[in-house]
Amino acid sequence: MSIFEYNGSALIAMVGKNCFAIASDRRLGVQLQTIATDFQRIYKVHDRLFLGLSGLATDAQTLYQRLGFRHKLYQLREERDMKPETFANLVSAILYEKRFGPYFCQPVIAGLGDEDKPFICTMDSIGAKELAKDFVVAGTASESLYGACESMFKEGMEPEELFETVSQALLSSVDRDCLSGWGGHVYVVTSTEVKERILKGRMD
Amino acid sequence: MTKQQANWSPYDNNGGSCVAIAGADYCVIAADTRMSTGYNILTRDYSKICKLADKCVMASSGFQADVRALQKQLAARHLIYQHQHNKQMSCPAMAQLLSNTLYYKRFFPYYSFNVLGGLDNEGKGCVFTYDAVGSYEKVGYSSQGSGSTLIMPFLDNQLKSPSPLLLPAQDAVTPLVEAEAIDLVKTVFASASERDIYTGDKLELVVVNAAGIRREYMELRKD
Repeated sequence: MSIFEYNGSALIAMVGKNCFAIASDRRLGVQLQTIATDFQRIYKVHDRLFLGLSGLATDAQTLYQRLGFRHKLYQLREERDMKPETFANLVSAILYEKRFGPYFCQPVIAGLGDEDKPFICTMDSIGAKELAKDFVVAGTASESLYGACESMFKEGMEPEELFETVSQALLSSVDRDCLSGWGGHVYVVTSTEVKERILKGRMD
Repeated sequence: MTKQQANWSPYDNNGGSCVAIAGADYCVIAADTRMSTGYNILTRDYSKICKLADKCVMASSGFQADVRALQKQLAARHLIYQHQHNKQMSCPAMAQLLSNTLYYKRFFPYYSFNVLGGLDNEGKGCVFTYDAVGSYEKVGYSSQGSGSTLIMPFLDNQLKSPSPLLLPAQDAVTPLVEAEAIDLVKTVFASASERDIYTGDKLELVVVNAAGIRREYMELRKD
């Protein structure tokens, strides 16, 4: 079994009209055993920037601690929040530092840039960035997520419709993957508010 | 000295995806027409769908040489059945035959991932889904092949087949009408072609209903 499949995870980020949604499953497992059903995979970096980390849970937590630290330092020095594009470059650099002994994580970054333009990107475990205009996915259920998102995505969705689409795509996809599931955690972010919702799906 | 291992395999994977959806009085069976090996395309125009009986159609992805051999075997057994019983095999009967034929080669399997679709004796749509060694189940819809992991969750979302273990027994057929089911299949293949490199070129769609068997084609991405 691959090290990336040790804990199980599912992550989506999707772009809407002047907003974005980022969602994850809630299961933490040790191979076939479920350890927690409320595991947090998505972290708030600042009000307009969220980071989701899939893959090995210990590396995800360590990575977040390092990135949170770097962002706080940036805030102290620059007296402002980091732009999403800048943060993506930072994550990429930190991952590539460990090129020959990597963090076993696949990050998903979602934020609102200048003029409230939504920004999403993902990268592999050694920092190769993939910018997308529509959606990005990560985790053990990634193939299912690609299929579901590709079929359900529409351009320019309003926040409520975006929430529905992301939730349906996430729940349908994790239902076909044994290592992810136990509900969902969805953040819908616009320039004015952040709406956090918990989904109840198949609890297995 | 480490053990010498064989580096020749009798199998190859020619890729592709298949889907089947059962309706109240119809069945839609579809597959793409791309045949590939590794990262190369062998042809853009290969049919993965085979008519086994009047009201019974099979779509298979995997190793097409094994699929061809399997189709030949089933056609021969069907001919014998017709000679002995003076009638065509029904879809459920063919489903059992396919399962037995696959399990017969349990220890050197047909590398063939099948979906069988058609009308049962009452004219209702039925779909049977198989693994490579003959384990099968009657379902309302199914997909197999390289794109199946991308397609299945979306079909679940739109169609949700009831479990065969439920009591009282619930109908496996979909509430959609024929035109809606065809649209759904086209959407699903368009999405799968975007993200699966082995799926694309053309979609071959076969509809089985009381009027007979009808074939339709749709262009897909060629990259």
